[in-house]
Formats: sequence, structure tokens, C-alpha cells
Amino acid sequence: MKLTVNGVEHEVESHGLQPLLSVLREELGITSPKAGCQQGGCGACTVLVDGEPRRSCLIPAGALNGAAITTVEGIGTPEHLAPVQAAFHEHYGSQCGFCTPGFLLATHALIERSPGADRAQIDEALAGHACRCTGYVKILEAVEAAVGGAK
Amino acid sequence: MALHTGRGISAIEYPTGMNQNGDPSQAWIKIKPDGRVDVFSGTSDIGNGSKTIQSQIAADTLGVPYEWITYDNSNTDSSPLCTGTFASRATFVAGNAVLKAAANAKQKLLEIAGKELEIAPEDLEIIDGEVIAKGSPQKKISVPDVAAAATWTYGELITGTGAQLNPYAAIVDPETGRVDSPPHAAISYAACAAEVEVDDETGEVRVEHLWQCFDVGRAINPTLVEGQIQGGALMGLGLAVLEECYPYYPSVEHRGGEFGSYFVPGIKDLPKIDTIILENPSADGPYGAKGISEMANNPQPPAIATAVFDAIGVWVTELPITPERVLRALERKEQGPRREGKWTIFDDDLSVRTVAHEKSRFRFPVGA
Amino acid sequence: MKAVGARLPRYDGVAHVTGRTQYVDDVRVPNMLWAKALRSPVDHAAIKKLDVKKAAAMKGVHAVVTWEDVPRLVYGHLEALGIPGDEPLLAKDEVRYKAQPIALVAAEDEETAQLAVEAIQIDFDERPALFDVRKAADPDAPQAHHWGNWYPHFEAEMDVRQIRKGDIDRAFDQADTIVSGVYRPAAIEQLPLETQTALAVPEPSGRMTIYSCTQALYFSMGVVAAHLEWPLNKLKFVGGTVGGGFGGKVDTATETLSALAALKSGRPVKWRWTREEEFLCSSTRAPWHIEIADAVTKDGWILGRRMLTLHDSGAYSRFSPYGVTKHSFHHTGAYTIPNLHFDGYCVYTNRVPTTAMRGFGVTSVSFSTELHVSRIAEVLGIDPFELRLKNANRIGDTSPNGIAYSDPSTVSTILSIADAIGHELPADSRTMTRDPRAGELLPKHLVEQVGKVDH
Repeated sequence: MKLTVNGVEHEVESHGLQPLLSVLREELGITSPKAGCQQGGCGACTVLVDGEPRRSCLIPAGALNGAAITTVEGIGTPEHLAPVQAAFHEHYGSQCGFCTPGFLLATHALIERSPGADRAQIDEALAGHACRCTGYVKILEAVEAAVGGAK
Repeated sequence: MALHTGRGISAIEYPTGMNQNGDPSQAWIKIKPDGRVDVFSGTSDIGNGSKTIQSQIAADTLGVPYEWITYDNSNTDSSPLCTGTFASRATFVAGNAVLKAAANAKQKLLEIAGKELEIAPEDLEIIDGEVIAKGSPQKKISVPDVAAAATWTYGELITGTGAQLNPYAAIVDPETGRVDSPPHAAISYAACAAEVEVDDETGEVRVEHLWQCFDVGRAINPTLVEGQIQGGALMGLGLAVLEECYPYYPSVEHRGGEFGSYFVPGIKDLPKIDTIILENPSADGPYGAKGISEMANNPQPPAIATAVFDAIGVWVTELPITPERVLRALERKEQGPRREGKWTIFDDDLSVRTVAHEKSRFRFPVGA
Repeated sequence: MKAVGARLPRYDGVAHVTGRTQYVDDVRVPNMLWAKALRSPVDHAAIKKLDVKKAAAMKGVHAVVTWEDVPRLVYGHLEALGIPGDEPLLAKDEVRYKAQPIALVAAEDEETAQLAVEAIQIDFDERPALFDVRKAADPDAPQAHHWGNWYPHFEAEMDVRQIRKGDIDRAFDQADTIVSGVYRPAAIEQLPLETQTALAVPEPSGRMTIYSCTQALYFSMGVVAAHLEWPLNKLKFVGGTVGGGFGGKVDTATETLSALAALKSGRPVKWRWTREEEFLCSSTRAPWHIEIADAVTKDGWILGRRMLTLHDSGAYSRFSPYGVTKHSFHHTGAYTIPNLHFDGYCVYTNRVPTTAMRGFGVTSVSFSTELHVSRIAEVLGIDPFELRLKNANRIGDTSPNGIAYSDPSTVSTILSIADAIGHELPADSRTMTRDPRAGELLPKHLVEQVGKVDH
């Protein structure tokens, strides 16, 4: 089957029922989505499917024929950070970094669909993402900066 | 149904370094031919930011910009031993090893600079990557030039090594627990106030506000210190009101195997957090630093439990303070503690004397 | 000074926000096998039969590791601190907790490995199990551990961690009030977002490279070297970048077995714990049972403390004796209490062994004793700040084990919090400092206890 990831079309050999997470990580070597729980509970596997944050550990890859998948590798690079990446870096929204890709994509999608998102909308967008290191305070500072920057 | 607000406080202390010491950390440094600095440390960065902190320490001890530091903790072939990232020792103990290695490398840099400038090393200092004669700032040589001279003129590799080890503090009398020397590298202190809102119909406890004051000795990187305090606050909140591996402890039944049945604090649990950082420098820590990352989740649970009492007049002494425990405590509220002579006795129902055999070695005597 | 004290950006910050930080599970090597474990489904039992032949013969299975493959089966991680080993790397004759590892299978993929695990034949003779630490000393208690139901190897082969100071009976005699209570903080998960993962790669030179999520590279390397009976230079640990630890990645739970499977199969082996495995099988923070009785005067001096601590170590020791010792050293918290009678037991139960988690040994002190001090304030009708300030450590006061405090910040942190929440305090409390006790802050009962500060 074919999967388009970060703008590049790949011919994928994995079985269509294979979770997207393991196709991305094992077959395509795209490792920013993480296997935090493989139960849909932590958000660390989050990717964007046609711009929507989805749990890649729960989606069979075969269901995504024709969809555009975006991971953190697709939104910015060390030389050209996306605004949300720059905000997380400047505001220390990351400690161990394991949950960070999921938070970045959820925030990125939030800003795209609700550019003036308030705290309640931010909480709602990020409620399903677990972080054990930061206590969320600096993540929220980063998100509010990213939202503010987008206005 | 009513919501009740309450406040509670706590004051705690916590030791830096492994209990009784004897936990070495080592580091070594080499200077590249262009003056850039490679730091090799064995400390795992588990998110606490030890790569950053130790790089900051190396930079200032050597006198070079932070951007010149390359930090490598990636493997045991090139990095020396660090006992581990726990016991709040990554900044204090491991940081001291890096500091010593940097001081050691600095000495060798100054010796070579001294030869180039024809000035005694003790009359030189390094500021912002330049070796400068004390009192005569026009006499100077850049660290890159010193490194180049070392490589191509003197045939020297500039390195530094450092090791930190507080000797093991033995228990000299196991009957009393007395030790022969301080069993810690330093002690850190914190105090906390918690404000909660309790729903007396559902039993739910919502932590609304935490005020936290930590004495960290010296904040090597204040933002990273804040991050530890904030992360610790949520972890303490989880221990206090949300998390439990064994819902029917001591039974092992009905353990939750997934996020829906184990409650880790999420963004919606975040209270308002006010953080005050005090700096009362340690005697022996790098730049006066003390460890704080472990204690960061210790002061909240007792402050929260006390706040629950303040709110609804019941003491819940089993963690987590679940709605069920709150409601059961409210049912028994009128009972209060037992009085016997000058004793005020709480929690009979939880004690060894109630639950276990009367001749149990663990029986804790109470009462007149 | 430019760097120390500055809010410099994280060294690894850009890598984190671009998804480029590499954790163990992100390492890619060719020919890698996946591992799954056979774990005990019962709490306590003798193993009557263990037969892995069928599993080992399955297509796609390249190694099945049992206790017979381990050169040194029992190695105590803190043997250097005098804590003898008690836990086999893989179960041999018995299992003592549900989820105890019995065998490790390495296969072409996770599904094949799991099917092979299920094909291992094993029979148990169940035994009674002990779960309640309070009942561990009952005459009819089941025996959870071959040493008995609590750790018997403290110094001088004592089976209890003791602190004795001053004259506890006199303190209780002199008290106006004695307040007692029971405190039970729970087992919780460290729950870092990265699960425990190891990747063991046999090298052409005969060395083994182990990609590890450990919090302690050399410590874990030492554990593997001990079990394999190898010198340290035969191993190379690669790591140092960990997706959260909080004390849950010191046990070295994945590295040795991955290495053994790699040795047996001749191929790289990755063992990545599932989140379900973390919740149900990984070592937790310990539950504690703590009973405290404090002898206090009506004006709020804490004259003496009696304390019983039962630490739930689970089925094996791991770091628990160390944790109980650390707990004992700090059982007075931030206060100076001159008369002490502390007994701490490291009790075994048939649950997953407990281990370190943030605050190890002292989190339980902070919870129990601080809540107890709050209760005392309530019972005596004394302001909780004032009670704490009065008893707070000063320079020169001594700790439970006789060490003088050189520079305690208890007073300043408490006053800061009082300020922060707008709590009014009388002048004499407001002006308290950490200075050595004198005058009203040095009552008779403390005179003997004030030691000399030495650096």
C-alpha cells in the first residue's frame, strides 16, 4: 500500500492491519512518534492525519490510503524551526523530550483550526497528552506563546 | 452538596547524595586544537537537564562560553563512572566531578598560556574564552590560540580529570543508629502550602493552589529548577489524590493495566502553582548548589491531606485521598480520636494492634 | 560568571523539539529480534515443571532463556553496601510474585515471541501468599521469603533498623499530651513516558553493546557483568538519554536478559516493555505502614517520638533495606526531637518487588510525620506555623543519628510560605532564624542534644 508521510509517498510492505505507529517507526524509520503506551492513553504516538491529531498506535495503516500524514519531522528542522517548535524550545516545554512530539503536533493542529485559542480550548486539546516530567506549566507557557505568536 | 475550601502546610528536608555516601562520580575533559571543550561524564540525563547543568558548570569553571562545550555522556567506553541519576546527586556530586575536571584542565591551559605570555600561571585568569593577565588586561591570549600552541608548539594534550567521593559514613552502633560522619553531602529544605476544594457529596478533592518554597543552595539554571519544582508538584499531587497501584491494598486484586484505570495527573489537574526559590548556598556543592529533584514531590501530600481536614474536618491518612476514603471518613466524623489518659489516639482501625495477632512483634503500644 | 545562574537553553532542547532525540527504542540495527517474557500468573508457588522445548522449536524463535542460561543467577545489586542478594534473575524452583519473569523468548517479531511464550509448558504448586505487612509477624503468617518475613541482615545481623536517642520513657512521662496516628502512603508507578527498553547487540569482537534506558550506566553495566561473570570491558553500555526515570529505571530489569538472549541467538535482541507490563509487572514505589506517637508539651514542644515503620518490600529486597535506613535517618523530618525510639522493618510480601521512586525512603517520612505534626497542632490548639517554627532544626541541633545540622533552612522556608499565603505570625515567630538555639528556644530538654557544627 502507499502512505504519504511529510509530503513523501512511500510504498509500504507492512500488512494493512499493522498499527500506523509501527509502520512509521519500524518500516519507514520515522521515529518521532513514540510507543508510550500503545493503548491510546498517553498521546506520545500522535501524528496528524489530514491535519487532525490522531493516535497512530490505534490506526491500522491500511485505513490511511490517500491520507496525508504529518509527523514532527515534517513541520520543521533544527535550522528552520516551526513557530510551535521555537516556542517549546524557548519556553522549556520539554524535559526528557519523550512526550514532546505529541504535544507539538496537537498544538500545531490547535493553532491551525483555532488561531485565537483560549486556555479552556488549549486544555481540551491537550487533555489527552500525558507528561510526567514538566507538570505542564512550561508546556502551557510554550503553547500560549505559540498561540500568541500566531495571532 | 457543598464545596468546602481548606488549607494545609508542610515543612520538609531531604538529603543530597546517596544515603551514607560512598557514591563516586567522575568526569574528564579534553580541549580541542581550536579551544573547544569536550566534557565526558557518566551521568544519565533523565530529563532533569544534567547535560545542561554540567555544561554550565564546566563553562564557568574554565572561563569559556557555554556554546564552546560539547557534552558526551553517551557510553561507558569514553565516559567514566557516575554512580547514577538519583538521590538528587546529578548537580551536586556529579557536577562537582565536572567542576574538578574543569579546574584541572584550566590549570593546564594556564600553564601553556603562561609560557606563551611569559607570565606565571597564578597571575592569569580566563574570562569569556580569553586568558588575561590579572591587572594588565592588554596582556592576553585567546583560549583557541593556547590550544593551538599546545597542539603544534608544545606537543601537549590539554585534559582535566575530576572525581567526587564523600567517604562512606558507617553506622557505628546499630542499636542506636549513630554514624561516624555526616551520611549526606548536603541537606535541602522546602515548605509548601496547599489549598483544596472538597465536595462533601462526591468526596472529590480538587487541589486548587500550591505555594512551594525550596532552598536549592544555588540555582545553576533557574528555569530548570522551576521545571523540577513544577514537575514534582504534579507528581506529589498524584501521590496525594490520584494514583494507586493496588486499589484494594494490601490485596493485589484489580490492578489497573492502562491509563484509564490508573490516574496520572493531566493538564486539567494542574493547580495554580506559586514557586519561591531560596538560595542558601551549600558548603561543598558546585557554586553552592544543593540537590532538589527528588524532594520536589515530598511536601505536597501532607499539605494536601491537612488541607482536606481544614476543609471538612476529617483526617485521611491513607493515600491516595480518594472520594471513597473521604466519604467513609465523613461517615465516621463524629467519632473522632479515642482519649485514654493523656493520650489522643487516632486511626485504631488501621493499626497493627487491631489487624494482627496480639503477640505480633510489630504491635505498637498506645494508651495509658 | 556567565553560565551559572543563567537561564541558558537546554543542551538537548533543539533535538527534543525536532523529534531527533534518540531513545533506546529509536536505535536501528539490522537482524534485530524482539523479546517477550513468560511471567508467573500466580502469587506464590513452587514450579513443578518448566519445559521450553516446544517454544524453542517454533518457526521464527531464535532463543529461549531460562535460569539455566544464567552464569550467576542471584546477584544483589547493593552487595557492595552489605545487602546480600536474594533474587534470581529468572525463577528457578519457585515464584514469589505474580509477574515474576520465568523465561525470555527472542523471535523475529513480537507476535511470534508472544506465541512462543504461550507455548512454554509450566506447572505450579500454589502456596499461601502474604500481602499485609501488618500480619507478617503473626504466628500463622505465610512465609514470603527464604529469610523469613522481614530482612534480617542489617548491621550486626539485626532484623530491625533501630534509632535510639535520649530517654523515650522519660519524655513520655513528662509529656502533657501524647498524640498517636497511623499513616499509609501507597504504591504508585514511576510512570515515565518511555517504557523500560534494552537492545543488546553482540559485536564481532566478542563484546556486547547494550543500549540501555538506565538512570545509571555503570551501575547497570556492573549488574550485567556480575550475572554474566564478565569483566567490565567486555560490555559497552550506550545510553544517557532517558525518557524519564523517577527511580524506575535503576533496577536494570531488561539489560541482562536481553544480553543473554543475544548471546544465545547470536543476534541483536530488543526487549521493550509494554505499558501494560509497566503497570502490572514493573517495580513500584513502596507502600508503607507507619505508626507514630509523639510526646508533646502543652506549649508545643515535641519531647519525644516513638515510631514503627513497616516497609512493604514486595517479594525481594532490591533497594528496600537501603530505603528503610535512609527513612530512619530522617524520621524526625525538619524538627529537632531529642528523645527517639524508632523501629523500621523491611517486610516481604508476595507482590511485585518495590523499588526506588522520587524521594525514596523520605517521601513516606514527609507524609506521615508532617501530617502528624499538623494533627498535633490541631489537638493542642496551636498555630501550625508556630508549632513548626519552634521545633524547627537550628544550627547545632543534632539529627536522629547524632550528626549536627550545619545550616538548616527550615525556618526560612516556613516563613516564606507564611508570607506567600498571607498568614499572620506573632513577632517572636517572625524574627526566628536558623541561629544556634539560645534563650527560650533552648529549653532544658534540648540542652544535651545541641551538638557542635563541624565541617
